Amino acid sequence: MTIGVLFGDLLKSLFKKPSTQNYPYSKISAPERLRGKLVYDPEKCIGCMLCIKDCPSNAIELITVDKVNKRFVLRYHPDKCVFCAQCVENCRFKCLSMSNSLWEMASTSKEAFEVYYGREEDIAILLERAAQPGINEPACEE
Amino acid sequence: MNLPLHPLILLLIFPGGLFLMNIGLLYEWADRKLVARYQNRVGPRWFQPLADTIKLLAKEEIIPYGVHKGLFLSLPVIALTGALTAALYIPMFGFQAPFSFEGDLIVTIYLLSMMTLCIGLAGANTLSRFTIIGATRALTQMFSYEAPFLLALFGPAIAAGTWNIGKINLYAIDNIWMIIAQPIGFIVALIGLMGKLELPPFDAPEAETEIVAGALTEYSGRGLALFHIGKNVELVVGLTLIVIFYLGGIANPLEFILKSAALLLVVTALQSLFARLRIDQTVGLWWRLGALMALLQLLAIIFGRYLGDLLR
Amino acid sequence: MTEKPKEKFVVPIGPQHPALKEPGSFLFTVDGETVTDAAVRLGFVHRGIEKTCEKRNYTQDLYLLERICGICSHVHATAFVLGVEKLAGVQAPPRAEAIRVLAAELERIHSHFLWLGVAAHEAGFDTLFMYAWRDREVVMDLLEVLSGSRVHYSINVIGGVKFDVDKELSDSIMKQMDFLEERSKYYMKIVTTDDTFIGRTRGIGTLSKDRAEILGAVGPTVRASGVKRDIRVNSPYSGYKDYHVNMITDETGDLEARFIVRIKELYESYRIIRLVLEKIPSGDLTTRVKRKIPEGEVISRVEAPRGELFYYIKSNGTEMPDRVKVRTPSLCNWGTITDVAVGHKLADMPMLLAGIDPCFSCNDRMVQVHSTSKPTQLMNWDDLRNYGIEYYK
Repeated sequence: MTIGVLFGDLLKSLFKKPSTQNYPYSKISAPERLRGKLVYDPEKCIGCMLCIKDCPSNAIELITVDKVNKRFVLRYHPDKCVFCAQCVENCRFKCLSMSNSLWEMASTSKEAFEVYYGREEDIAILLERAAQPGINEPACEE
Repeated sequence: MNLPLHPLILLLIFPGGLFLMNIGLLYEWADRKLVARYQNRVGPRWFQPLADTIKLLAKEEIIPYGVHKGLFLSLPVIALTGALTAALYIPMFGFQAPFSFEGDLIVTIYLLSMMTLCIGLAGANTLSRFTIIGATRALTQMFSYEAPFLLALFGPAIAAGTWNIGKINLYAIDNIWMIIAQPIGFIVALIGLMGKLELPPFDAPEAETEIVAGALTEYSGRGLALFHIGKNVELVVGLTLIVIFYLGGIANPLEFILKSAALLLVVTALQSLFARLRIDQTVGLWWRLGALMALLQLLAIIFGRYLGDLLR
Repeated sequence: MTEKPKEKFVVPIGPQHPALKEPGSFLFTVDGETVTDAAVRLGFVHRGIEKTCEKRNYTQDLYLLERICGICSHVHATAFVLGVEKLAGVQAPPRAEAIRVLAAELERIHSHFLWLGVAAHEAGFDTLFMYAWRDREVVMDLLEVLSGSRVHYSINVIGGVKFDVDKELSDSIMKQMDFLEERSKYYMKIVTTDDTFIGRTRGIGTLSKDRAEILGAVGPTVRASGVKRDIRVNSPYSGYKDYHVNMITDETGDLEARFIVRIKELYESYRIIRLVLEKIPSGDLTTRVKRKIPEGEVISRVEAPRGELFYYIKSNGTEMPDRVKVRTPSLCNWGTITDVAVGHKLADMPMLLAGIDPCFSCNDRMVQVHSTSKPTQLMNWDDLRNYGIEYYK
């Protein structure tokens, strides 16, 4: 009758360090391809909207501030995003990438979940427009 | 060592009562931490059982529909009382037993069984589908391990020639360790203790994946806290009994700590090694293997004494 | 004096129960400890995915269907993508197919380790549960380095794959395969020699070959009874045409046989991964696929870790599919439980449930029943709510 086959392993485990990671005091570094928060570079964007067409959860919106001079602001909702990286795949000019360091996205308020990416002055223009009552924000074309 | 304290203090504060309950919490922490380390995990911090007890005491006690209210509320108290009273006759922590008389071994064993009886009654009283099955399993298990466990405890008593636990302790301190003289009895007693405390692999009465929590499913708040404390006290008392009988008695508190810790190491290793046995497998194992081994041990003792008398 | 009819003692396992990881209702009628009758009720995780698919385009659907299940997410995506590629008339490049096979086999390893832990937990063997899940972390870390996420890898796109395998990743995968193989051999030893574990698995839940074939079971459940059913061998798809798989069967049909079959499949997966990494063809990762898929209907079948996964896709020339129907492997295996349960002890029921490796989230699809006798009813939302409340009173 063979019982206690695990015995050797059991005894060794008593002297080994536990294999639980002591988060948050010790964090292992994330791999390179980790799909964390979306990052947008407004310099290269031409406003083709291909990224928005294929998003499964409508997590990104592109707001046009000035179409001729290619000034856009990206509004990103991390709470709706499923981190599939399809937008990264679709973009032909490499404006989008998923960060591998911003993956701790828990927050106690809803404000962290509506992120604006763009040049500083564009965002300022947008916020100014939003503050004035009675003006609808420019719609994002499908 | 004898303690020159008022009997009421002996009963309620030290070494019975409050002190014993806290030591029970310490043992529960040691048990959980050791099991976690065997499984390569970290395990809880030292105040976890205390925090659990406080949390349970602060929660609302829900009385299910259709139970006998008086029985429901009083059974946890009776169970805890049984475990605490059993500790009065045992020389705990190296001090002399507060109240001891000839024949208190039998009384202690029956008081320890009161816990299982209360769990069975609690399950049958609650009338939920899971609790009835849990209660049935608990009582079935009690009927199966009780006889070999008793026989295994009687072995050292026969060798010492007395039914008084205090005197057995003195006998064990002076003579050779009974684990060497009666090894089969030691094994039966140790595994019987695991059955009494419903530790894996004999935890069919409270199998989490089959019947939620067994007989205690509908208990919450204060009742559950008292049951848990009762189980912890029983762990301490049971381990102390086996240390006294088989591991050479307890002469002072230091020996108590060392020997209990060593036994706890062994018990937790046994806990982590095996899969859970089904209730019919448990009964079969005990009535076939356990009773046979205990009887064998008893015959060996009687034979040994007879031979000893002859030779003298 | 009339006799009172004997009351049944029904033990419900589910919808909320520590034995199940997801909701599903099993009602076992017990007499003491022996089970005399069993009934299954599903549908607690219905999310209306098939209807949602019709409102989104193919690329969005890919990610939606991937999230039907967390453990078999890659095979759902692969089945969908293979179907759509067949409709569009394109063939993904060989390197993409090889990477799909690599991800599928890594997922199979992940799923079987998870299952080993869960089944050991149902048997009360918590130590094996913790050890198996500790080793599962190795696979999940590999998948994270390959794709960027531990669950829902999102490797597939229509026309190929997104992520590539380079030399460094390939070396680390090979090294971990050796480590995992050694651990799997150790678990095989435990499962076949430890007497307490064998007491819970040998001779329990025996499913004979004929009953298994009649009930239509799939996956390792039926392969443990001796039936040779494995889509990777019977009708190879994607990269499996180049990397051959051996069929693994066992004759006994009880719970122990299912353990043995799954651990042997682990060995097979290690072998295939090593083969893929040695002989991966070079080339690009995607081919261009037009957004509008031509009209047609297609069936695609793949081998999920739990059995045969079946997809039916109907397209109508636009960017959105007309109908997507999913039939998951766990749905076929429920019949085996009610068939086998009678006569066993109640303590064996969670083990039986764990033995078929149920994945409840995959399960709930809608079946339309046309009744010619009763008139069809049209209910709006409030009526439906009231109906539900009245039904459960």
